[in-house]
Amino acid sequence: MLLLIAPAALLMALFQVLPIVIGANASFRDWALNNPKKTWVGLSHYIEVITDPAFLQVVLPNTFLFMAVSVCGALVIGLCLALVLNRGFRGQKLVQTMLLLPLMVAPVIAAIMMRWMFNDQFGIVNVVLEAVGIEGQPWMAQRWSAFAVILLTDIWLWTPWFMLLLLAGLQSLPREPFEAAAIDGTTAWRVFRYLTLPMLRPVIVVCIVIRSIDAFRTFDIVWTLTGGGPARSTELFSLYAYVHAFLNLDFGKGSAAAIIGAVIILVVGLLLYRLTDRVMKG
Amino acid sequence: MFSEVAPAARRAFFALAVFAVCLLFMFPVLWLILTSLRPVSGVYYVHRGLEFTLGNFAEVLRDERIVHAFVNSGLIATLATVLSLMVTVSSGYMLSRFRGPIARTWFGTIYVFRCVPYISWVLPLYFVTQSWGIYDTYLGLLLPHIAVHICFFSWLMKGFFDGIDPSMEYAALIDGCTRWGAFLRVALPSAIPAISALAVLCWLFTWNEFLFALILTGQKTPVITVVMAQFVSEMGLQWNLMSATAVLALVPAFLLTLFGQKYVVRGLKI
Repeated sequence: MLLLIAPAALLMALFQVLPIVIGANASFRDWALNNPKKTWVGLSHYIEVITDPAFLQVVLPNTFLFMAVSVCGALVIGLCLALVLNRGFRGQKLVQTMLLLPLMVAPVIAAIMMRWMFNDQFGIVNVVLEAVGIEGQPWMAQRWSAFAVILLTDIWLWTPWFMLLLLAGLQSLPREPFEAAAIDGTTAWRVFRYLTLPMLRPVIVVCIVIRSIDAFRTFDIVWTLTGGGPARSTELFSLYAYVHAFLNLDFGKGSAAAIIGAVIILVVGLLLYRLTDRVMKG
Repeated sequence: MFSEVAPAARRAFFALAVFAVCLLFMFPVLWLILTSLRPVSGVYYVHRGLEFTLGNFAEVLRDERIVHAFVNSGLIATLATVLSLMVTVSSGYMLSRFRGPIARTWFGTIYVFRCVPYISWVLPLYFVTQSWGIYDTYLGLLLPHIAVHICFFSWLMKGFFDGIDPSMEYAALIDGCTRWGAFLRVALPSAIPAISALAVLCWLFTWNEFLFALILTGQKTPVITVVMAQFVSEMGLQWNLMSATAVLALVPAFLLTLFGQKYVVRGLKI
């Protein structure tokens, strides 16, 4: 029985557990390039990060806002598409294939093409806006428009994932309650509100938990779209840690930020897991 | 009469709406393909003019670094797929069939590590791979990739094995098969659909992955996602070449998804 997990456990120990231990050690030290002694500095990196106004007022709110909007947006759109696909119509398979397209697109590529479409001089979005008489925007040069493009890219990437899982959930629901509702002449909205939604709840909750945890660590689309800019105003937690470790070459502070982030998401993940459990049981 | 027209109009409206949504979803990719086909002179006004060329692709493929990156990405994705499946199928089987403290601990470990943000362990992994001398090599990128798949795929495999009735394995055990024999000869063949699903997913994840490659590779082992991201800053204005590279990077993923769609859909549903 141990042999079955031995290779997996060994790999995880070497490439996940060990680095985390080393990172934790580094977070208590002055691990900068100009200090070969790596002096022990205790909790000072943690205090620096926690009291850093950029971390408190920009990075954390950004990360949680990103998590909430991108998960909710993709969930709502994905649910709508799944409901439509579940009705079954001619060409449904083809439509499904087309809607799954973003699933295979690398986040980096998605970010590149959004960046091109939202280019302030030559991007198609501004061309279309100007054609209908609205002034084009320098999308990537302003905090909130840049953040909106990031959100749009993420929602575009992840809607098919929600759609697929929710469609599978819809197709596995029993038919009888829906037939009974049809006989009673219930309106479509009431069927959705009082039948579909409650029966689909376990699937929805699992989707939300998995996706929220992944959204928290998003790195590639932000890095490629804005690089955290303008003026570090669209930085998410992963970028903050990366920038401190590899651009400012302050490995101790970067590690401390990475550990703080890990602790936050473990707590959030645990709460979400509890929530899932309760919903699944009740 | 009216009651016959209304459903027809409604159907037409429905078809139109579905078409619009599909177009909206595919638009970014279509636009990228269109841009990649434009000559340098037309790239800034993609919506105007009708000159098209395949020259961008030829130019991109003349760049040794890009070709090298494609080969590297393909090799690493393929190897990571084979190796991580070998490791995770047995781990998922163990989670599904065994009870007791070891199985419980392993499941807990996997759940916790699934939540840990990549940056928290890839950041220090930079130093680990350097001190082991595998920084910027195949091995240095491959092994972390296998490690990251362990959590998620063990979980998916467990779900799959949970859905298979174990009575066939018990029958094999009674007939004198060892526990390993029951796993390899009875459970494994029935898991082939799930394994193919995971293989497609794993290949796509690794091909598309960015953060690991950004931190763990340098000049010697370029990977396509990192090369493209560097493009954005270095060749920021050559959108025709950028798009051509991106389209080339989409092709393998697209073909794999097209032929393996059945498996991808099934894999995500497990």
